[in-house]
Amino acid sequence: MNQAVFDRRRVNGPEESFPPVFDEITNDLTSWSIGMPRKARSPSDIRPIFLQPGLINQASGSAYVETDRTKIACAIYGPRQSKGAAFHEKGRLNVEVKFTPYSCQNRRAPMRDAEDRSIAMAVHQAIISSVRLETFPKSTIDIFITIIETDGIEGCVAAGSVAASTALADAGVEIIGLVTSCSAGIVQSEVWLDPSHKEARSSTGTLVFSCMPALTTVTNVWQTGRMSSAEVLACLDACQSRCNDIHGVVAQSMLAKEI
Amino acid sequence: MATSIASLPPSFSHVSQEEQDALKAAVFQRLHPRVYLERFLAENIRPDGRSPDGFRDVSVNVGSISTADGSALVRMGNTTVVCGVKAEIAEPELDRDNEGFMVPNLDLPAMCSPKFKPGPPSEEAQALSDRLNQVLIASNVVPLTSLCIHPGKAVWVLYVDATCINYDGNAFDATLISMIAALKNTRLPQAAYDPETNRTICSRNAPLVPLQLTPNTTPISISFGVFDSCVYRS
Repeated sequence: MNQAVFDRRRVNGPEESFPPVFDEITNDLTSWSIGMPRKARSPSDIRPIFLQPGLINQASGSAYVETDRTKIACAIYGPRQSKGAAFHEKGRLNVEVKFTPYSCQNRRAPMRDAEDRSIAMAVHQAIISSVRLETFPKSTIDIFITIIETDGIEGCVAAGSVAASTALADAGVEIIGLVTSCSAGIVQSEVWLDPSHKEARSSTGTLVFSCMPALTTVTNVWQTGRMSSAEVLACLDACQSRCNDIHGVVAQSMLAKEI
Repeated sequence: MATSIASLPPSFSHVSQEEQDALKAAVFQRLHPRVYLERFLAENIRPDGRSPDGFRDVSVNVGSISTADGSALVRMGNTTVVCGVKAEIAEPELDRDNEGFMVPNLDLPAMCSPKFKPGPPSEEAQALSDRLNQVLIASNVVPLTSLCIHPGKAVWVLYVDATCINYDGNAFDATLISMIAALKNTRLPQAAYDPETNRTICSRNAPLVPLQLTPNTTPISISFGVFDSCVYRS
């Protein structure tokens, strides 16, 4: 439901509008539902990642990530002067996430809400350990992530972290390692990697895992839902090996980029 | 006015001559942007090699966003704009009960250029959104009566949202192209209004219907600037 608060800064539509409601009858037997085996890939396969650094020439560094139905663009500005006069000897990292109105199944209002901030926090957690903050005192690096199309919040966080880390490398900011990220869900007591939105909703719990494969250190683990400890550990192991593969993809794209 | 750049410091001696020249040119542009531009224009050429009335190549890619009812990605040189159309259902206005709504908006987020700060839409974004709204209304590219589902009860609302990903000048032209391309790419589900339950239900099985656009209407905009009494196209 789009209850538009009259925003005098934008062109406004009618006061109230509703996303289309569909009838229940569907003869689409190919669409996945709970109880069926996974469509088109095995539980331990992630969808292929397309990664392109350096797409936004206005920014210090940028990256565009696309995996099946998740499209994320990331731009880095900085290091630039911090607002506020307080001296801080370590640099700051400011992550802002924005959804476009057409990125989700139901239209999102252009206002920023709590979901944007929680994804920003997760991405911030994932990459902050990899940046050498002491090399830019009194300065801030601004990371802007725009989510053009999304297929579940876990996929967003994972792809966002990969995009942010690639953009940092593209910008030439000093980092101690590339951060890669993978998501997993427990569906019918099985570990399924890189769940889509539908699969994640049907799962009993999901987990997003971020690490620096080059240093074999974990930077962020975000688990939601109900999972036993054994399931959590199984997810962590599965994600870790996938993160190594993703690291290869990121390194390859950085090498292929025109200098 | 004679300007010169001092030679590069000795630490650059390992850099090739071409790279040294490129570096000097970049420094010169930063320090004296106007003189830099004038030097090119004196030769009747622009810094990126175009003639004064030359356009940048435009590339359009439609239909790549599956969550949107219609989408387009336009690249005009480095300026990149993504546009998505989402359709929702609303009650029409009382005095125009068979007309739908079209709500175009352009967002210039902080990521597209260092000159934009995060926060509410900047003045430029507001001005461009308003102008785009006027163009789309005046050209009648989507007749609002074609968006009617049931007079007085249900009409389509088309939210046409454009986001600039990379701002390298001339966002207006690129955005207009992207909005028109997205509208041409838009396909809506078939909707039926049920007077008994007062609800509009869309059919999941019936094929999607493209928008009924006014035939032979494709508004195109061309921007130009005037520099020292010469005209240059964006």
